[in-house]
Amino acid sequence: MSTATATANVFGSEVPQPAQHGQPGGIMRRLNFVTGLIGGLALATIAGVVTNILTPSGASTATFAPAAPDYVYLAVLLGWVIGFMAGMGAFVGPIRWLLGRDITHADAEYLAGKDLGWKRYWKFTTDHKVVGVQYLIMVMIILGFGGLLAMLIRTELGVTWAEVFSPSFYNSIIGTHGIAMIIGMIIVVMGPIANFIVPIMIGARDMAFPRLNALSLWLLVAATPCLISSLFQGGVQDGWSVYQPLASQGPPGMLGYQMTIIVFAFSTGVASVNLMVTTLTMRAKGMTWSRTPILVYGVFAAALMGLYAFPFYQYSQILAMSDRIFNTSFFDPLEGGSVWLYENLFWLLGHPEVYVIIIPSAAVLMEILPVFYRKPLFSFNFAVAGIVGVVALSGLVWAHHMYMTGWAPAVNYPFMLSTEMISIPVGFLVLVAIGTMWRGVVWTRLPVMAIYAVIFNKMIGGVTGIYLSDVPVDQYMHGSMFVVAHFHYMLMGAGLFGAMGGVAFYFSKMTGRMLDERAGSIGLWTAFVGFQITFGSMFVAGLQGQPRRVLQFDSLFNISNWISTIGAYIIGIGMLIFLGAIISSWMYGEKATSNPFGSKSLEWQTPTPVPLENFAVLPVVTEKPYDYGVPDPYQKELAAVDGDLDTQKVGSQS
Amino acid sequence: MKRTLVTLLSVVVGVAIVAGIAVFNSVREAEPPTLKAETAGTMQTPQGELPHATLELAVYPNSSASVPPPKTSSNFEANWLSGQPFYWPSTSIQVPANSAVTITFIQYDSGGTIYNPYFADVHGSMDGTMVVNGETVEGIKPSEVGHTFTVHDFPESSQPDFFLSVPLKMNKGNAKTNKDGYPEKPQKMEVTFITGDPGKYVWNCEFPCGDMYQEFGGPMQTRGWMAGTFEVV
Amino acid sequence: MTTTDIRPSGQPDEPEAPTNRPPSMHRVKMWLRRPYARGILVLTVVIGFLLLPLCWLLLAAMNQTGAPASPIMRDIEQTVFVFTLISIPITAFVFAVLVYSLLGWKHISGDEVPADQSPAIRSNTIGVVMWTAVSSLLAFFLVVWGLVELAQITANSYGTIPADEQPGDSQALIVNVTGQQWVWTFEYPQYDGITSETLYLAKDRPVYFNVTSKDVIHNFWAVELGVKIDANPGAITQTGVTPDKLGNFNVRCAELCGMHHAYMETGIQVLEKKDFNSWAREMGGGKTA
Repeated sequence: MSTATATANVFGSEVPQPAQHGQPGGIMRRLNFVTGLIGGLALATIAGVVTNILTPSGASTATFAPAAPDYVYLAVLLGWVIGFMAGMGAFVGPIRWLLGRDITHADAEYLAGKDLGWKRYWKFTTDHKVVGVQYLIMVMIILGFGGLLAMLIRTELGVTWAEVFSPSFYNSIIGTHGIAMIIGMIIVVMGPIANFIVPIMIGARDMAFPRLNALSLWLLVAATPCLISSLFQGGVQDGWSVYQPLASQGPPGMLGYQMTIIVFAFSTGVASVNLMVTTLTMRAKGMTWSRTPILVYGVFAAALMGLYAFPFYQYSQILAMSDRIFNTSFFDPLEGGSVWLYENLFWLLGHPEVYVIIIPSAAVLMEILPVFYRKPLFSFNFAVAGIVGVVALSGLVWAHHMYMTGWAPAVNYPFMLSTEMISIPVGFLVLVAIGTMWRGVVWTRLPVMAIYAVIFNKMIGGVTGIYLSDVPVDQYMHGSMFVVAHFHYMLMGAGLFGAMGGVAFYFSKMTGRMLDERAGSIGLWTAFVGFQITFGSMFVAGLQGQPRRVLQFDSLFNISNWISTIGAYIIGIGMLIFLGAIISSWMYGEKATSNPFGSKSLEWQTPTPVPLENFAVLPVVTEKPYDYGVPDPYQKELAAVDGDLDTQKVGSQS
Repeated sequence: MKRTLVTLLSVVVGVAIVAGIAVFNSVREAEPPTLKAETAGTMQTPQGELPHATLELAVYPNSSASVPPPKTSSNFEANWLSGQPFYWPSTSIQVPANSAVTITFIQYDSGGTIYNPYFADVHGSMDGTMVVNGETVEGIKPSEVGHTFTVHDFPESSQPDFFLSVPLKMNKGNAKTNKDGYPEKPQKMEVTFITGDPGKYVWNCEFPCGDMYQEFGGPMQTRGWMAGTFEVV
Repeated sequence: MTTTDIRPSGQPDEPEAPTNRPPSMHRVKMWLRRPYARGILVLTVVIGFLLLPLCWLLLAAMNQTGAPASPIMRDIEQTVFVFTLISIPITAFVFAVLVYSLLGWKHISGDEVPADQSPAIRSNTIGVVMWTAVSSLLAFFLVVWGLVELAQITANSYGTIPADEQPGDSQALIVNVTGQQWVWTFEYPQYDGITSETLYLAKDRPVYFNVTSKDVIHNFWAVELGVKIDANPGAITQTGVTPDKLGNFNVRCAELCGMHHAYMETGIQVLEKKDFNSWAREMGGGKTA
């Protein structure tokens, strides 16, 4: 019970406060995940029942489908999302502003989870560290769901003599696997690491918009049941790209997909803005751009690409939903629409999106390499140039996914040019990585061993991408399993393994415990071996001529598919071991010290667990990052011969 | 020790969940029971005397008290497909190899104009003809198609190619109906074809008789209703 | 602790140029004296040779059902061969660095943060410039190769000419391909509009496909002929090829189109010209155009 206090002590100074209405935290004291669930389920039920009553029984849509399942499912989804967010307290802030109530320091501290213990992870907490951990949990759930579906898919493809699942069910699990993995991979680094680590890394106390941070996470939590529920409403019987007009033939599960994307696009948009403003405006004093760690660049670049690309995706799904519910014909060519409109809208996101996945993973690795090679990052400027080049070109290559659509054959030429060009900045990042490894004495801990897996997979993925970027070769390869193997090598081989290294690196700072590196290594390398078997064999199947998204195929492809399936099971075991290592270390791991890897980066200079305000005194940065290493002995010899110093700088002061 | 146990437990639980879900869905999505053609006697064909097998299939516009709907994989699907046409009694068809097979179709549904007039003609029958209500024809009018029965290849190149497409004539809108709502005098089609060596094939209807876009959704994309498997054993 | 990569002789080289500055060839030679430089170059060559068979293996995988059966497919295979060949040097180099970093340079294990031992190289202008130059040259080569090849194939397949303006070349065969869920049908407008569900073609006779769909997006992929184009509803897309090999080949649908997408396959039969003509006559089509 507190009366209206006049001032609050904020970092040693007395700051005048507005009137405190009730207890600190107000209604947010009572709102948490449970009330969110209750709100969501209640509003979903009410919306569903009301819609059911309002829809005349036996009513059909304009395409002769029963109207009730469509409308009721959409109402349930909308009710769930709005009710869940209301129950979580997402609207409390805006309503307070409407009522003219200011937030006091005590309220803000409550919202940030001060002194709440484990409960703060179940509430709409604004502390970026809490949001980072919540994202880590969500990532594991979503990737786990996608992995489960992957095991089902490979089982069907491995049983070549029979159909394990019906073709319609198979079509839905491949579509749902695709979108679940894409969503999981977008947030795997941008969620936990960008939220938890980056603000501390730049010497800030929190992100620019803490409430938006919590909003982006809980929107993701609201979107996940929309995707999972689609499987029970007939499934998403289209690939993850849900091309129209096939998507308009599907059962109501398609609405689950569309709602997932609409909500997820809000979540990403909000998170992107938050990240960009934070990195632009809240870096510590003295942290000029040449003193900013490369992870910040990578995360900023991904946020920027996500910000301009996701609206296309969201828009395409809104129009598709409108085609389905209101019988518009944006994408129905027989009524004046265009299928190519959908394909363009989709791939305008679809391509930058893979860079949203790859760039943060590469940036995390570039952050890890100097710590474990005890060497500065090789050519920091080149790394920045690579990231900038990728961002600049990422919006100019989308139609290489549409070479074979017959949309505009004349533009195949410029898109082939831009696609080949984009391999150059990506190559810069590979050079930075191997340049940092060059002549380095490596400390073989789990986070850095991931780099070997990533670079190996990235080279294979990159070279196979070159085949696909050539239009005539694409005439053979498009729509075959070769494409599937290529993007798995890039997104999973380079993206996921890199993210696993990043999670292994930041695990101790985020959870306060040391990761069991033996189990983690066994898991990662088992998954790596399984990965090569699965997708190497899949390249062969694609070259032989197996199309994608098929559950039955010529016996010519049998052997490649049996091998791929065995490899997939090995991946599954490996990933489960890695997951088990994470869970067991989180529960029983040894307590971590504040800087177990001897990193010189700002985020490792805080104690573990990181205090609520991150820094007692905000730091001032005076040196370039990655200040590791000893003077190069070859340089001294060369200098003695030359009589003057070479261009290589010894040490790091500048 | 505890850590290793928890790790191992995660693996075991993960594998169990995957296996459980796989088995559950496999059983749930199983094909309808097989409908076998009965062999009786022989028949003279251009390829000599072959054993003769017969089979009867009916196509209903919707379920009724006397004709229950096909089994569905979930309550949702039962609800989503209620009131849609289906083949009866089953869509998993089995015919003997190296035989002459006669399939009789009893068609109770209405129809319209088929999108691709190719499928208004019969293809793949023994002599390129079929019998429609007692009359031998090479096809029906593209504007009077109710459904088709189109068998086409599995993607398996080592089994013989097989293609059979039979158009099924529609019942006119003003036909007299019985108490279940089906026409009292349904259309009756008969087609005879020759099977080769054993192989697996699929069949589906090529007339848009479902719902959603171009009316090719719903039952047209559900095994057990307007699509199924066709096995030559 | 000293590093292990210092030159074995421990003595500076004799400068040869009069200005007391070693010329660049000498610097290269000095660099090559470093054990890791030789080690990585040797590894690059070894790994490169190990990767070399891929050029042929990739083609072997593609040719298992009778490919290549057209000049386009031959072009595609040549491109795959050349692209693999020129990707091998950079790939081998990167893999060599990966291997050498574990086997050649020192590594430390354990829980203690090791003391700094690695040379603090922040940049290397020569390395950066060489990498940029090589990768740009390679990318440029790939682009030029691809553009030229695409222009050639498009010229041969009338990719952008609408159906009613296609040449009345009596040589060329025109096939209207219709994809629908889930069968392909082929119509020969020059032969009284006979239709078939198997694609019959004549050897060495150019064929132009006008492809469309009756419902959703399909993709017409004549596998061994190396031809692929989407079948879009409400639009006609074109492609063309000249089959130059007899045999039975495959058409597969390469765009998910619903439940029986996997079963949307049919056959191609490439016959001698006279056999093709007799087939057309049998089906009831005299040549009308």
